[in-house]
Amino acid sequence: MRTYGTNRSNALNWFLHRITGTFLIFLLITHFWVQHYDAQTATVVAQTLSSEQIEQGVLPEYSSEARAAVKAKFGPDATVTPYDVVMLRLADPVYAVLWKGFNILFLIFALHHGFYGLNNILSDYIRNDMGRLVARVLSWSLALVLLVVGLYAVITAGWTY
Amino acid sequence: MKLNVKVRRYDPESGKPPYWATYEVPAEPMDSALSLLLHIKWHLDGTLTFRKSCAHGICGSDAMQINGENKLACSVLVQDLVKGDGDTISFAPLPGSPVIKDLVIDQTRFFEKYRAVMPWLINDTPPPERERLQSPEEHAIIEDATKCIMCGACTHSCPSTWADPDYLGPAAMLKAYRYTFDSRDAGSAQRLPIVDSKDGLWKCYTIFNCVQACPKEIDITRWLSALKRKAVTAQY
Repeated sequence: MRTYGTNRSNALNWFLHRITGTFLIFLLITHFWVQHYDAQTATVVAQTLSSEQIEQGVLPEYSSEARAAVKAKFGPDATVTPYDVVMLRLADPVYAVLWKGFNILFLIFALHHGFYGLNNILSDYIRNDMGRLVARVLSWSLALVLLVVGLYAVITAGWTY
Repeated sequence: MKLNVKVRRYDPESGKPPYWATYEVPAEPMDSALSLLLHIKWHLDGTLTFRKSCAHGICGSDAMQINGENKLACSVLVQDLVKGDGDTISFAPLPGSPVIKDLVIDQTRFFEKYRAVMPWLINDTPPPERERLQSPEEHAIIEDATKCIMCGACTHSCPSTWADPDYLGPAAMLKAYRYTFDSRDAGSAQRLPIVDSKDGLWKCYTIFNCVQACPKEIDITRWLSALKRKAVTAQY
């Protein structure tokens, strides 16, 4: 008779999966609100870009409040691109710390949640123990790489200003 | 009425792959599905093989796939499976275990997993003079889980079990719940590490197939969730 179970508990990962899943709902809503729907940064609602305009690199027109805020900060000749609007938010040190902290939390939670789920799927479809180990090492290594790239992007954003 | 009864037949000694055989069986709406199989065995084809014992939903022998769903053949009525004369009912072995013959599956691993969770009272304290008492409130916690008759309908409906033959499955882990949450049991330290492992609780993705399949209508997923919480709080 084969033995079932091992001494290695997986309770922590399962518990974190629940916790991160719950938090991700609020983190996602906040992300979308701030990044895409906030009054200051929202694009003109009625504007629709044609596929030709998108190919030519035409950017959507920002609201007058957003344009005024960017020009006040970076001078009257400043272009108003999505990048500028994000930079505007990060130019305030308090907001920069707040949003970078928020995005680091978002990054860690999303990576843990996603890769725990991916590992469950991999262990469902890969039947032998060696294959499972290889898949687990590879997938968590990929998560680590994405974590480093993500942390670099979040932390260094806005440093030129 | 007359029903077309399709049965998934397999005889390992014939060397032929499994096939569907169809029999015309007379039936009344209040007959059990099991009675259709008994009619075939007694009057049409004596080679048909299936497990049955009490025929009253207690022994758990005749769990099988009926019209594509895991059910107890003795506990489901013809009127709940067909609309009327000439309709078809299909019988197949429970999915996810090797088939020995016709509707009989090899339950070796199913009962290995059952024994693996130590489904017995663990308590080393000296027994009291008469018996270890349990209050009605303490029993209420495990009452639903004690109704399990080990028919295997749940474990053989579970996609996690189909994907991973080593996964303990709902039936075994429900037993782990039943003893872990028993007020008289003191074996959590031995039992929890078995279910809190790669073969255990964490492969339950709350699919609820087990709840749907259970002929005793046990809320299995709910109790496994309670066991998950217990495993987490025992660790941290």
